[in-house]
Amino acid sequence: MTAPSPIGDFLRGQILARRGDLLIAAFAGVVTAAATTLLLGLSGWFLAGAALAGAAGPTAVQGFNYLLPSAGLRGLAIARTAGRYGERLFGHRAALRALAALRPALFAGLAAAPPGQALSLSAGEASARLVQDVGAIETAFVRRSAPWAAAAAAGAAAAAMIPASPWAAIAFLGGLAVQILAGRRLADHLTRGPGAEHLKAAGRLKDSLGAYLPAAAELRCFDLADRALDALMVHDAALGAAAIGRNDAESQLGLFQALVIAATVTAVALLVSQAPLPLAALSILAALAGLEGVAGLLRAAQQQGALQEAVTRLDAVLIDPGPSPTLPPAVDDAITLCGHLLPPRSRLGLRGPSGCGKTRTLEALVGLRPASTGMIVIGSTALETQPLGWARGLFAHAPQDAKLLTGTLAENLRLAAPLASDAALWEALADAQLDARVRRLPQGLETWIGDGGEMLSGGERRRLSLARAFLRPAPWLLLDEPTEGLDSRTEAALVAALDQRLMRTGQGVVIISHRPAPLTLCGIFLDLAAD
Amino acid sequence: MTVADTVVNRSVLTSLGRVAHAPSTPLAALTLINSAGATAFAGALTLVLTHKGGALALAGLAAALIVRAVAARASARLAARHALRVKRQVRREILGGLLARTRGDAGSVGEAAGTAVDEIEALDGYYSQFRPAELDARLGPLAIAAAVTFASPVAAAILLTTLVPFVAIMALAGGAASLEAGRQFEALARLSGHFVDRVRALPVVLAFQAEAAETARVADAAQGVANRTLGVLRIAFISSAALEFFAALAVALVAVYCGFSLLGLLPFKAPESLDFQKAFFALALAPEFYAPLRRLAAAYHEKQLGEAAAARLRPRLGATLSASPARLKVDAAPQVRLCNLTLRFDDLVIGPVDATAPAGELTALVGPTGSGKSSVLAAILGLTPLDAGSVEIAGMRLADTGGFASLAAWAGQAPAFLPATVVENLMAAGPDISREAALAMAAKVGLTPALARRPDAGDTVLDERGSGLSGGERRRLALARALLKPGRLLLLDEPTADLDPAAEAEIICLIRGLAKDRTVIVATHSEALAAVADHVVRLP
Repeated sequence: MTAPSPIGDFLRGQILARRGDLLIAAFAGVVTAAATTLLLGLSGWFLAGAALAGAAGPTAVQGFNYLLPSAGLRGLAIARTAGRYGERLFGHRAALRALAALRPALFAGLAAAPPGQALSLSAGEASARLVQDVGAIETAFVRRSAPWAAAAAAGAAAAAMIPASPWAAIAFLGGLAVQILAGRRLADHLTRGPGAEHLKAAGRLKDSLGAYLPAAAELRCFDLADRALDALMVHDAALGAAAIGRNDAESQLGLFQALVIAATVTAVALLVSQAPLPLAALSILAALAGLEGVAGLLRAAQQQGALQEAVTRLDAVLIDPGPSPTLPPAVDDAITLCGHLLPPRSRLGLRGPSGCGKTRTLEALVGLRPASTGMIVIGSTALETQPLGWARGLFAHAPQDAKLLTGTLAENLRLAAPLASDAALWEALADAQLDARVRRLPQGLETWIGDGGEMLSGGERRRLSLARAFLRPAPWLLLDEPTEGLDSRTEAALVAALDQRLMRTGQGVVIISHRPAPLTLCGIFLDLAAD
Repeated sequence: MTVADTVVNRSVLTSLGRVAHAPSTPLAALTLINSAGATAFAGALTLVLTHKGGALALAGLAAALIVRAVAARASARLAARHALRVKRQVRREILGGLLARTRGDAGSVGEAAGTAVDEIEALDGYYSQFRPAELDARLGPLAIAAAVTFASPVAAAILLTTLVPFVAIMALAGGAASLEAGRQFEALARLSGHFVDRVRALPVVLAFQAEAAETARVADAAQGVANRTLGVLRIAFISSAALEFFAALAVALVAVYCGFSLLGLLPFKAPESLDFQKAFFALALAPEFYAPLRRLAAAYHEKQLGEAAAARLRPRLGATLSASPARLKVDAAPQVRLCNLTLRFDDLVIGPVDATAPAGELTALVGPTGSGKSSVLAAILGLTPLDAGSVEIAGMRLADTGGFASLAAWAGQAPAFLPATVVENLMAAGPDISREAALAMAAKVGLTPALARRPDAGDTVLDERGSGLSGGERRRLALARALLKPGRLLLLDEPTADLDPAAEAEIICLIRGLAKDRTVIVATHSEALAAVADHVVRLP
């Protein structure tokens, strides 16, 4: 464990933060385990004592104190009940609260990672990490009280055996040690592989599904749905094999545990055979209950494989974000793009054949990809010398493939300006020529736009993305094919509104367009050559 | 989720289990073997304590424990294999349904992944742990009580009596818990969907510097799930505490009854006389009476997860049949007729559209943005349900065929690809497309220079969104794929968007040349493309 593990650090921090709940859970576990062991042992002792007294005649019966053991039995039954409830409730409470903190930390980690890495994480993988890996960590967290409970069960049983025969107690502890040490080793060996494999296989299935689902329409059109289904079922088979492997390893381990229990109980029975009947009965029943108390510990060991794998995968998400950003550029800095100086309020048209890198230039400005050396200078600072995203505050970007959030129209718009009033949203929609359409919707701004905006047409998605960029109070607008997919009347209205808007707000603009209309707004042109 | 829903979910789970050949009889036999092992163990233990039977009794003790362990292992293996059969069958059905989903279907990709992976995996515990535990809980206590009856009928009666209040409490707490479990599952699915959506939109979130706000939202959603889960668990833990209580009570009552009976201090006249052997045998079996129920309680969470999963899987099961349209074939370019075609998306109504695209000609579908051009194309394919009216191709009606996807080639506005190479994607467009034909078509749509720039050329691997290609290149690739499909009907949605004027002219020329042995319908804003069309249909 030498490699730095952000998740490991996070979990240690959470264990510290939840130590109150965890302590209560461990204490309750100790009470339950000890009570369970003693209940059975005490019952055996009581029964044997009663039998001897009953056989010895009325005097012995009257001398036999039955009040204490029967009160003890009642007390143990209650302690066991309350202990179990407390152990489970507090253990789970600690785990759930720790995990509620882990999920946003993961998202923040993804957002802070170099964009290339975070963006390469497919939808399926993201969901696998959030749901399954975090779930594996939860299980480990809940089982933190297991060692304490096991120790209490073992301690209570050994103490109960000493009066009958100290050797029996030693034999019992020996059997227990084999159970724990060999059991843990075996659990590690048997379940680590299948547990990790199961998580991986589930991730692969989700990933593959994330790739095929958006293509569902095409798949059907080109008669490929069956082929896609078969490809997915290959991952299902791997997932099933991993599940069977895990189940079989667990049942194998159960068999081993039972063999150790059989050997230990037999040895204890042999060693206490000379002791008085009540003590012998106490010892054997306590040994049996004590050995079963370790089961929780071994179950925790079985989850170890899945836990390690989950921690490793989540660690990969929370990679070091690199140097923290320095002071952001001033809002009135001029921009030098490929040697062209753009003072504030400039209007630049970026032209060039398909695939020459126009879109990449805008993405470099926003810091979604690194800028090539000398291409972009902001004020007097070369952009590539600063961390990615350094100049992000200067730009409002409306990309070509407008990504929308699954949510309402207002949620999408307020991504750009969280505090914007409804009036401001309507104004931006009007400038993007989308207001009339939204006004016709019964729920207006609160209309749900579906998965990634799928309830909207291509042109509407693009205009919503434009309206969103308009709302951002940044000195520069970056518009990538703003009027693609629009009919010429709407396009003309949009260009006119954009012109008005730029004059009103004093923003500069960089426009990429294959179509001539938006470029009529531009005073400067930069022609990129095909590379 | 109501009680009626729970019953339905349970019957869904039962019928799924039955179709996958539930191993009920062998499992029941193994349960009885397990109970017989417990009885043998109690008997051997009694003999050992009373110094009867000697070494044989000790050997019997060990043998009884081993028999039980072997039986437990056998039933775990049987149940795991049954669970595998159920999951495989359900997953095939659900995945088939997901791939057949239509535009505007509820649920994000993240939610779909949750359905197909997590919720089906939630069935694993139900069949591999809960079902066998349930069978065990039905048979096991009765078998143990029967064994106890041999030694002490009163002790057996005590054990059975404690079962009555226990079952009542479990029934009450269990109903409330499964209601909560359903809500928790939904919260978890929403959380998963939300997270995946925001990761997908991460470039936008970053560009608008909204990382902090979105992280706060994820935190809110995660907190909501944690609270719900705690609610579920509080109730589930009450049932587990009740179980613990009655298990302890059963042991304590048997011990007290037997003890007082041996002392001769019972306040009532017992119909039996106990000796130590009988009493100890009954006591040693007492914990076994509740053991199957404890195992059931340990698996109870699996039941809740399984039933909640069944509730969410239910609407998706059995939905695939209606979505698999017939394979159609036409020998010549067909005529396409739209009669009074009306589409409805919530409040938005498109149409009615009346139009004819004559066989073997180029028809352009034009109209302002949002007038429904893409939707009309999707309706022809059968990807969007019709509100009214009909689509007829070569005399066949859409309502009778369930869609013309098998007949048509389509290039959509946001093309998606198989996660494979460029050439493999093109070869997948039809049954007998050679690599050469695929590359030739790529050249025809002007992709050659773009491919030549890449080190792997035609073997460049794409992901589902065709990343690595520019917007214009993706359009051309989608067009090439549509042209390779040997269909007589070609539907193109904005084929010239994202292209510069020179490339646009090339593609228009190519499309114009196609409309001889094929019927071509294009949805377009391009004046140039509309100008060369044989017919223009205007949507209002």
